[in-house]
Amino acid sequence: MKFPILILPFALLALAAPSFGQLSQAQIQKPAPDSWPTYHGEYFGRHYSPLDQINQSNVKHLSLAWVARMNANTLGAIVGGEGKEPSPGAGQGGNGVSIKSIPLMVNGVLYFSSPDHAWAVDARTGKEIWHYFWKTRGGLHIGNRGMGMYGNWLFFETPDDYIISLDAKTGKERWHKQIADVKAEYFSTMAPLIIGNHVIVGMGGDFLDVPGWLESRDPETGEIQWKWYSTPRPGQPGAETWPDAFSMEHGGGMPWQPPTYDPDLNLLYLPTGNANPVFIGDSRKGDNLYTSSIVALNPDTGKMAWYFQGSPHDTHDWDATEVPILFDGTVDGKPRKLLAQAHRNGMFFLLDRTNGKAIVSTQFSETANWSKGFNEKGQPIPNPEKEPQRGGALVSPNSSGATNWPAPSFNPDTGLFYLHSSSSYAVFYRTDAPGEKIAAYGGNSEHGVQGFGGQLRAIDYKTGKTAWMHEYPGGANGAGGLLSTAGKLLFAGDGAQNLVAHDPATGKILWHAGLTAGISNAPETYMLDGHQYILVGAGDSLYAFYLQ
Amino acid sequence: MVPIKILASALCALTLSVTLSAQTPPAGGRGGGRGAAPAAAPRANPKFPADVVARGKESFGPSCGFCHGLDARGGDGGPDLARSLFVLGDENGQQLGELLKAGRPNNGMPAFPNMTPAQVKDMAVFLHERVEAARNREGTTPPNIVVGNAADGQKYFNGAGKCNTCHSVTADLQGIGGKMEPIALQDKFLSPRGGRGGGNGAAMAKKVTVTPKTGPAVSGTLMSVSDFAVTLRDASGDRRTFTRDGDEPKVVITDPLQAHLNLLRVITDKDIHDLTAYLVTLK
Repeated sequence: MKFPILILPFALLALAAPSFGQLSQAQIQKPAPDSWPTYHGEYFGRHYSPLDQINQSNVKHLSLAWVARMNANTLGAIVGGEGKEPSPGAGQGGNGVSIKSIPLMVNGVLYFSSPDHAWAVDARTGKEIWHYFWKTRGGLHIGNRGMGMYGNWLFFETPDDYIISLDAKTGKERWHKQIADVKAEYFSTMAPLIIGNHVIVGMGGDFLDVPGWLESRDPETGEIQWKWYSTPRPGQPGAETWPDAFSMEHGGGMPWQPPTYDPDLNLLYLPTGNANPVFIGDSRKGDNLYTSSIVALNPDTGKMAWYFQGSPHDTHDWDATEVPILFDGTVDGKPRKLLAQAHRNGMFFLLDRTNGKAIVSTQFSETANWSKGFNEKGQPIPNPEKEPQRGGALVSPNSSGATNWPAPSFNPDTGLFYLHSSSSYAVFYRTDAPGEKIAAYGGNSEHGVQGFGGQLRAIDYKTGKTAWMHEYPGGANGAGGLLSTAGKLLFAGDGAQNLVAHDPATGKILWHAGLTAGISNAPETYMLDGHQYILVGAGDSLYAFYLQ
Repeated sequence: MVPIKILASALCALTLSVTLSAQTPPAGGRGGGRGAAPAAAPRANPKFPADVVARGKESFGPSCGFCHGLDARGGDGGPDLARSLFVLGDENGQQLGELLKAGRPNNGMPAFPNMTPAQVKDMAVFLHERVEAARNREGTTPPNIVVGNAADGQKYFNGAGKCNTCHSVTADLQGIGGKMEPIALQDKFLSPRGGRGGGNGAAMAKKVTVTPKTGPAVSGTLMSVSDFAVTLRDASGDRRTFTRDGDEPKVVITDPLQAHLNLLRVITDKDIHDLTAYLVTLK
């Protein structure tokens, strides 16, 4: 075992027999088969596992080990928070809980969260170990992507913009710190990412054109180590892509998807949110860096190494907050360090992750109609006629995008990048009065129209072309994120509340199980007591499958 | 990032496409968040009584309007206060009062020490109402969407659009321009299953025929379909579900409104606007 970046006190502890909790940097960097130590399971964000106990020959026998139905009832919970009265967490559906979090699995314990709630659950039985509840001050309770872990400490964000650190063993709070001000309509959903002694934290919020930033905090004290703003300030590089100081400072670019990270290059890859005001860009003419971009940051300093903007001057709410997956591959016969992203705007990008230069840019969405091709940097060129219009502009995809935040997967065995995609359309009507100053979502009315459904799609990273596609007969709403494995399996939801195993080479269906809700996170896998498990969240429940 | 998609039109409810908004749950959970669906006109908000807002505006105008604009949306040197982090952080005029007492000399904002606490409170209500008004602009119906050329629309109707294959302006579409708002009309030909009244009746519903390996084929109205099951309502009104395993049984779905769906791939925005301009003339 080596410790390539930092020798932490906890890393040393990890050399002893693992006990409750305890996760070292080395264990995050090279995850053991019996763990899932981060939101993406590993720094590269591939949602690929080398495990193959469950494989094409036996997946027909995959069966339920347990179901854990989580309850937002706070009776017996450890209670913290700055709010006055406990709130059940509005808008969560089901049992007051929607599990968008991808649970961490460390030493036989699952750790996950939903807005205002965190749980530890026994991975062998599905039984709750502890439940932490946060009394909220408000904020949009739309989702929580999960937790980060450092040594014995857990970290998660809340809708009212706090980061909370818990003791993994007991669920007791160590401290909480405010990230942003809920009164400015920020809300926080990101799963913190642990890199060395940095807890990487981001936030969301598009309602009032507030600035977005990523920040790093000390895992022991919670103090801020650095902040990186996703829009420049006057005089800084990138300022030339905004008309004035006001537009930059209110330009949005919310980072709410957990970044990926390359330890060798010591760069984290952050996908940023869309520009504000969201649909009417008159007051922010220009490309609006670094919104709807992938930026590479040094996690020790927050300094940007490079950027690639996949949606210049976005006017359709197409943030770039889809997972930037890292992998090493071969392009034109040469080994390359790569980054691939399927962007919400319907485009696929393959970048050199050492410098951000585009190698392949293609339109994966057959219906996308808003771009006039790609420029010499591999960026799509927006067609201004497809911005909101008085008489309506028919645009594909709609503002929900040709794909979205649920995790895609890259499988090194097939060389294919898998995602859920949508062939949606909407009419964007411009509604502002002449001379009216537009803020936030104003000035636009989006009318959804019919579309051509949803697909499970495999893209050949070398060409950016779709290798195969499985059309969901009833659409892909609720299909969730993806997981592929060395067992020659691709796990996905299907928009009809099933968990499905496909052949990653062809898309052929090999197995399925009906659940009580659509997949609300992405499937994950790990070994426990000699069994490979597939774990997935659907609404308020976690389902664990294994071979019996 | 629109965290929750509440579109002005109800059309989206019937689309089969993925409507995953940023941060929207992939399954369910569309409630909450941004409140009720945006209506055409903003509703009266009890937090901002009209008389208090008016008083606040009166106090604001002479003292602040020169720099910030009479509507507080920015003016000569003063920022747009509907997007001001300071205003967002103000609680019932408390922070505003302190700021007005001290001014911001470094930013060129003078002090206003003579404002009474009552004036400050009213002004705070006015400013917070400005914030609310700015954010509630989403979903507002455009005043007039008819921008096309009716003559070109008529050509499209009888030509490239092939609308006259199924429709007639002297039969089913007679007087349609007087029966529907232009925006509803436009949405309707792009997405005929949507809108008020929705489904166009059973005749226009999607049909499905299921042919098992043995036994007779069963046809009916499609209720739901996935890779693993298909459910229909047959002619007698019975609901029937068949499990699916690959190509068994054979499932064929037909959509009487397929031509409208296919239109999406080929129709231009000019065609759309022209067609609407033509249809609204059918009074």
